[in-house]
Amino acid sequence: MAVVAAGVVSPLGIGLIKTLQSLRDSRDCVTPVTRFPVDQCRCKTAGQVDDEPLIAAAQLNGRQGRRLHRASHMMIAALREAWSQDPRFRPQLTVVGTTSGGMSFGEQYYRSLQGQATLRQAPAWIANYPPQKPVIDALAAFDLSTPCQVIANACASGTNAIGHAFECIRSGRYERVLTGGYDAISELVFVGFDSLQASTPEKCRPFDRQRTGMVLGEGAALLALEEMDAARRRGAHILAEITGYGISTDNHHLTQPNPSGVGPRTAMEEALRSASIEPEAVDYINAHGTATPFNDAAEGKAIGELFGKGVAVSSTKAMMGHSLGAAGAIEAVVCILSLQHDFLPANINFRGSDEGVVLDIVTNKARSAPVATALSNSFGFGGTNASIVMQKRPG
Amino acid sequence: MSLHIAGMGWVTPLGSSVPEVWGRLLRGEEAAVEIISDSVGQESHPVFRVPASALKDLPAHPRLRRASAISRFAAAAGIAALDDAGITISAPDAPRIALIFAISNGGVIYTKRFYRDIVAAGANTASPLLFPETVFNAPASHLAALLGLTGVSYTLVGDGAVGLLAMRMAEDLMRNDNFDYSLVVGAEEADWLLCDAYSKWRLTRSAPPIEPFHSPAKGMILSEGSGAILMARSGSVKIAMTHAGTSYTKRSRLGEASKKVLRELEAPLGAAVIASANGTFIDAAEASAVTDVMPGSAVYALKPALGESVGASTLWQVITGAQALRTGTLPPMLHMSSNLPFPPPKGDADTLPIRDAVVLGCGLNQQVAGLRLSI
Repeated sequence: MAVVAAGVVSPLGIGLIKTLQSLRDSRDCVTPVTRFPVDQCRCKTAGQVDDEPLIAAAQLNGRQGRRLHRASHMMIAALREAWSQDPRFRPQLTVVGTTSGGMSFGEQYYRSLQGQATLRQAPAWIANYPPQKPVIDALAAFDLSTPCQVIANACASGTNAIGHAFECIRSGRYERVLTGGYDAISELVFVGFDSLQASTPEKCRPFDRQRTGMVLGEGAALLALEEMDAARRRGAHILAEITGYGISTDNHHLTQPNPSGVGPRTAMEEALRSASIEPEAVDYINAHGTATPFNDAAEGKAIGELFGKGVAVSSTKAMMGHSLGAAGAIEAVVCILSLQHDFLPANINFRGSDEGVVLDIVTNKARSAPVATALSNSFGFGGTNASIVMQKRPG
Repeated sequence: MSLHIAGMGWVTPLGSSVPEVWGRLLRGEEAAVEIISDSVGQESHPVFRVPASALKDLPAHPRLRRASAISRFAAAAGIAALDDAGITISAPDAPRIALIFAISNGGVIYTKRFYRDIVAAGANTASPLLFPETVFNAPASHLAALLGLTGVSYTLVGDGAVGLLAMRMAEDLMRNDNFDYSLVVGAEEADWLLCDAYSKWRLTRSAPPIEPFHSPAKGMILSEGSGAILMARSGSVKIAMTHAGTSYTKRSRLGEASKKVLRELEAPLGAAVIASANGTFIDAAEASAVTDVMPGSAVYALKPALGESVGASTLWQVITGAQALRTGTLPPMLHMSSNLPFPPPKGDADTLPIRDAVVLGCGLNQQVAGLRLSI
């Protein structure tokens, strides 16, 4: 399946060019949280998207811009970038992942009930709170009313959305699907991960032996997928190809993966089978790598067992935080850039591996290397595991 | 590819089995209203709740110990749909059953409690036990664990149309021979906060009944429960066509969006319409679409009897459509306007010469979907 356009908004930057530069520079874009008070939380940092460039990128007028949620701004900005690359792309279906929709509007509504603010804006908050709203807003900004499937599979949502979009085209039912994910940071979710002690009071260090947890992030990314022959027939510019998708459900626990790594391993095996390739063909794995002790242990074990030390691995979440429903989509864009520009994005803040773990971690600095095939992992609460295989644009 | 309904499960304020709820609908019964209040606000709101007796047969499972009501409703309906089809899941078959979960507001009870603690006592008092249950896919995860499903599990979020979108997604999946079944489950739990939010949006009314197709619209009453449809390659009722859905950006455009969906479903003459009318602005749009595209059709709206269950609602409509085709009857539509824009149902469970039923799902938050059943 051809990726004929892509747009991205993340703490690394707005747009593919800024994202590429940040990845090459291995920039740490995690900053102190400013949107809500975090003085009672252990973790006080996150990857955040600045409002000013976001509003400029979304190009909404003042009244409209104020009414919509930040998540809508992110989706509109991401779609605007993708649209600028291929204005002839007309999706027949939209499949997008998210975890929390316009959650901060729900928070404002609750606080206003408590007398902490006026309820005057309540109808607008309620109307703009639902998870499908930013998707419909983005489509409407380009005069589209394409059917929407909005997947909320926790942190795997973005990769699930891309994978399902891939399967929809592969089945022959659709030729063009717009897909991706979004999530905007909110107090409820931030405090939630903090309460679980899943987020860290210090640096996010994926796969490091002294890792202490994740930091949250936010953003949006959209990919325009098209059946390869159709894309070629109309002369579309092809950024990369998606060739495989795997999904599994691990019923071990609502928030913790099975320590055996069976869930991630099954998803990766399925993705390789779907792409008809062997593990040796994969040059780079963009890991889920949240830097929680449980996730990285299970994922590291699964990667080690399936790939050995023969593949470069990094988690880019240390640079931009974990953007939940957007993560899989943003990381798919990271893989596209890696495939296009032959480099391996860094796993920053890394000092040393777990005892007995043999992974080729891309330590702290991006590396130049030929990348023909990349695999991206996303795993989430509920035991949901998803992997996609992406390959360099066919010649 | 031809898909069918192989099993159904139903948890509603009128009971928890398809024969029981269907029987009560045919008798013209409606759910009893409960008035709820909350310390966070001054207003009270009416709601149709699922009675505790409806979940009496739910098996004990560690995953359900702390789970919210929505997960229990979903579990009961999901198990019932498999039982209805006589399906027992074995480990080798588990990946061949896809679970598609439709949800709108999700675990609102725990979400409110979790955030209430943050606001009232600070972030350092937030409960790590509650937070995971606030995540949209928690009910699907519990159901997958309960049933031993290990393959595809998607939670789809949306408005009242989401159940139909989930059935479409299941149909998309089942084009792949890797799947024998798709279990589609829609669920919702009612809470004061949800009622208050819809009230602030001027969509609810302060007391029953829900009056469908009334002009001016008088408002809806929320309810809760779940519906489950087991989709398979054989079964008693055929899913003749699903629609991928569409969206509308302004309420004034809902009528056109509904007409588009109805037109594209290509219903034959004489098909019945199971409408989503709930006493709000969607009724007029739906009535206009039906009179324009399917004039003369028998129309039945379920929500005056069971309330607006949002994420579960369109699957309830699908169950109703399937029952209408299986039994050749439609229940009497309650509290209908005297100036209905289409021929009123005869009002007394009469035998109908129907072979097709169209389910139309007009959501309150910009989504529209539909499907057509036949027998």
